[in-house]
Amino acid sequence: MSLSPLLDVRDLKVHLRLGPNVVKAIDGVDFRIMPGECVGIVGESGSGKSTMARAITRLMPNVNIAELSGELSFEGQDILAMPDGALRALRRGRGFSMIFQDPLGYLNPTQRVGRQIEEALSCDSSRGSNRNRVHTLLDEVGLPDPANVARRYPHELSGGMRQRVMIAIALASDPQLLFADEPTTALDATVQLQVLQTLYRLHKERNMAMAIITHDLGVVAELCDRVYVMRAGKVIESAETVRLFEHPQQDYSRRLIELSTRRLPRELQA
Amino acid sequence: MSEPILRLNGVEQIYRSRNANGPGWNQVRAVDGVDLDIREGETLAIVGESGSGKSTLAKLLLLLNRPTTGEVQFRGTSLSALASADYQAFRRQVQAVFQDPASSLNPRMTVERMLGYIVQRHALATPGETRQFLAGHLAAVGLNPPESYLERYPHQLSGGQQQRIAIARAMMLRPAIIIADEPLSSLDVSVQAQVLQLMRDLHKTTNVGFVVISHDLGAMESIADRTAVMYRGRIVEIGRSIYERPYHPYTKLLLDARLSLDPRRSRIRSMSAAPSRSDSSAPAQGGCRFRPRCAYAVEICATQAPALKPVDQAGTMAACHRAEEIGALRARSAEPTVPSPLEV
Repeated sequence: MSLSPLLDVRDLKVHLRLGPNVVKAIDGVDFRIMPGECVGIVGESGSGKSTMARAITRLMPNVNIAELSGELSFEGQDILAMPDGALRALRRGRGFSMIFQDPLGYLNPTQRVGRQIEEALSCDSSRGSNRNRVHTLLDEVGLPDPANVARRYPHELSGGMRQRVMIAIALASDPQLLFADEPTTALDATVQLQVLQTLYRLHKERNMAMAIITHDLGVVAELCDRVYVMRAGKVIESAETVRLFEHPQQDYSRRLIELSTRRLPRELQA
Repeated sequence: MSEPILRLNGVEQIYRSRNANGPGWNQVRAVDGVDLDIREGETLAIVGESGSGKSTLAKLLLLLNRPTTGEVQFRGTSLSALASADYQAFRRQVQAVFQDPASSLNPRMTVERMLGYIVQRHALATPGETRQFLAGHLAAVGLNPPESYLERYPHQLSGGQQQRIAIARAMMLRPAIIIADEPLSSLDVSVQAQVLQLMRDLHKTTNVGFVVISHDLGAMESIADRTAVMYRGRIVEIGRSIYERPYHPYTKLLLDARLSLDPRRSRIRSMSAAPSRSDSSAPAQGGCRFRPRCAYAVEICATQAPALKPVDQAGTMAACHRAEEIGALRARSAEPTVPSPLEV
């Protein structure tokens, strides 16, 4: 591919101040996504995968940041140095969006979901056409009877439906890149499969790049073209998915794959 | 075959809640007529989606809930009729481990105080020997050196270590059985493997039985002697080989929903772009409750609810009118999809 990367991250460092200590949550990570590509970021808890996504999307919570450095460019624009107004414009139109593990924590419990999707749409259009776009989005993420769902409050929906609403909100700005942080971890297996199918279909139909953060190698095997394996704030291996699964270079990656496949170490299999 | 240690007889649990949009009450049948024997020293897995009643079943087994109808028996006596000595035996012999170890340990007590209290309460050791007794039990769950863990508070331990403490706490009383409700789901895969390994080791050395509740079929396959599949409050299939040979369409659905670990055989990527709809099936009125989601439903399924009945020589039971036909289909090639680099 001779295209230039959509997102290009070089030597990203996020160091957090935790009491007297400095925690190197992200310690020099290089990361790249091409337009329309689906990339997986795997690692165990504490490996820094979510912190990385938050640093890239500039959604760092207000904690004590000791150091935040590196080059972060999206379509050639430097995200780290971007003023808030430009960042908002980027999020609003054809930039990036993010979805999270726990949709209930990110939806407003007191507002109907249709309203919340509408809020994410650009505000230049009329009320009526916005409503149509809300319904189109709900239909696109695979929710039956959009007009009815739009009138619901988050607590009236099941976990899978809430995650679909989150996806609809993320899609409202027509992003070129979607970050999904453990998008199906809280869902039942059967629902997980449906939501992943939906994500994959949207990824293909819209030619939208996706970065999926997960601890579940199954999600990676099913969806991703390429994978980054993270451990202790560093990328320890990055490879095309098939290559990683068939010829992992690092012992750590090999062990993750093996444990995901058979669940108990070999010596204990009866 | 050994004597059942716990037995459920036609147990139903109905939760009532105030109707949110008007007068009256809503009823939820969380557990809807379950018969189950749990034998000494066996590892029984209970799997199903959220809302299928698995956790309610665990609460019933632990006498944290009392059944609305039916009875739970402990060594042949109904839990509601246990004499006080038997009740104490029940409390000792049936122990619990929960999903979130952080919230099942007291944040304001050190491990030593927390566990020491139990030692004292049950007179497991004299005060002078308590520390040594605890150290022995911590070592048994793989916390080494044990003394260094006694001084710590729960927040100074990792999730896996916390779960080991919870298991040590259950094991101290020499239980016959441990009821574990989603003991793995808050842990990383590598830690999950360690906890599974620990459970298997404990089973080998002390013959303690486990009832493990989980939504993770992969993990259960590796430790369960028998597995019960629950759907909307009922056991729809139970047996030893449900992973290789499911007889109930719901079991098959759960097995098929597992993600492939072979990127060359990804189903999602090879799938046609057919929109996948979210499932909003209403509970079936009459007939089989799985019918709205079932790919194999026929006429009889709409009128007659299938009973749990034996379907093969190995003692598998399934509640499906077409169990024999479904059992004859081959399950999706389940395991292992990735050749281990170590094997090559």
